[in-house]
Amino acid sequence: MKESHPVHERKHIWRDGFLLVVALCVFVGLVFALDNAMKPTFNATTLALTGVFLAFVPAFIWLAFFYIQDSVEPEPKGYVLAVFVLGGLLAAAVGIPVVDNLFRVSHWIYTNTLSSILGGILVVGFTQEFLKYAAVRYSIYNSDEYDEPTDGVTYATAAGLGYATMLNINFVISNGGVDLGAGMIRMAVVALAHAAFAGVTGYFLGRAKFESESIWWMPTGITLAAIFNGIFNWLLGIVTQPTISLSGAKDNAWWGLVFAAVVALATTSAVLALVRRNIQALKAAQGE
Amino acid sequence: MANKQGSLGDRFAEITVVLVTLVALIFGGMYKSSVENASIPFEAQGVSLAAPKGWIQASVRGNEIFRASDFNSSGFATTYSVQKIAVADDATAPEVANFILMDRAQTLDAFKALDQNEVSDSLGRDAYLLHYVYVSSNPDATHASIPNIVRGADFIYLKGGYAYVVSFQADDQNYDRDLGRFYRFLESLQF
Repeated sequence: MKESHPVHERKHIWRDGFLLVVALCVFVGLVFALDNAMKPTFNATTLALTGVFLAFVPAFIWLAFFYIQDSVEPEPKGYVLAVFVLGGLLAAAVGIPVVDNLFRVSHWIYTNTLSSILGGILVVGFTQEFLKYAAVRYSIYNSDEYDEPTDGVTYATAAGLGYATMLNINFVISNGGVDLGAGMIRMAVVALAHAAFAGVTGYFLGRAKFESESIWWMPTGITLAAIFNGIFNWLLGIVTQPTISLSGAKDNAWWGLVFAAVVALATTSAVLALVRRNIQALKAAQGE
Repeated sequence: MANKQGSLGDRFAEITVVLVTLVALIFGGMYKSSVENASIPFEAQGVSLAAPKGWIQASVRGNEIFRASDFNSSGFATTYSVQKIAVADDATAPEVANFILMDRAQTLDAFKALDQNEVSDSLGRDAYLLHYVYVSSNPDATHASIPNIVRGADFIYLKGGYAYVVSFQADDQNYDRDLGRFYRFLESLQF
């Protein structure tokens, strides 16, 4: 099948990514401040429902920016939302059961540093990144609407945020609710990380469809995303490790958010640079 | 934009992604096994065994010579223990089993014996096997947690005037999954 139309760059995708990082940090700060100021009391049901609502906030922020800014040759909103939902469903149906029940990761991954890194890459990283890839590859990828290299990043980010949302809902449900401040930090960290790693997969997906890459191109992309995923989670564990002193234990969750924000910004910038370079090369090839 | 969707190369690439992911998961599973099966040697009172690495070895009580728990388990921490009990030379395994049952019934909440029978372990050693269930709850009355249903299995061996009672206790939800590893622990046991 051969089609041809001028290649664009959806510049707002990058703005959406950067705005997600900034808006999420602001939102987390607001929730934390309100929680401290008002000290709301919840029963078990309202605590769980509030947690589930908060789990959707990162995806809602990104989707809101996307919807507002996607005006020039807009991407079908229903497709973006469908890939987001598919990412979440794959997490609930396959990802979480494989990681938690089949591999029982929590039983052995924290045994030592090597286990944290290897388990994080080989089991957690590959499972999660493959499912985000699958959410795009076996749905929108074959559609005519997937017609730009940047679409790979758009849809993979949607799948990544869907996956993160389901992880956060699972976290809330399995704990019977979460502390609003600390819980929101954790949810923001998970969302930023998954959106960032999905962006890497998305870059590879974008080029896979429109250029003649080797059969190792896409496996390299998944492997890179899985490596980033595993190393991120290992470093996150080090960064957020509570500090114990004579005056008591100090929670370092905020450093986790700072770390996730820096990683998300750095990854988005790197993917942006790669996609731009790729688009310029394609434009040159088209003789523009 | 030209696209190469549906080409042979695209399909090979798709298969390669699946294969690479499967290979990663297989290596991950192998690594998981190696971590979970890692052990450290333990020896006391003429009993040697391979204690699970990374488990917490608790202080022993009464006739116990070994006790270790996996605090990474969800619910009740999966626990292995070994007791060495002096018995009369003519004591039989069912008699020792009754003694063990009486002791457990007095010390464990909602204790129920499920079944008992003579078995041979994987090394061909004769043993007497007890299956039971009980409820474990945190003794702190203000601790907000639901009690756990615990399933247990005691392998009773008689040798040289002693009964060796090797116990496996796990949360009802983890029992079947953790049993395989316990059998490997049992194989390592020498007395």
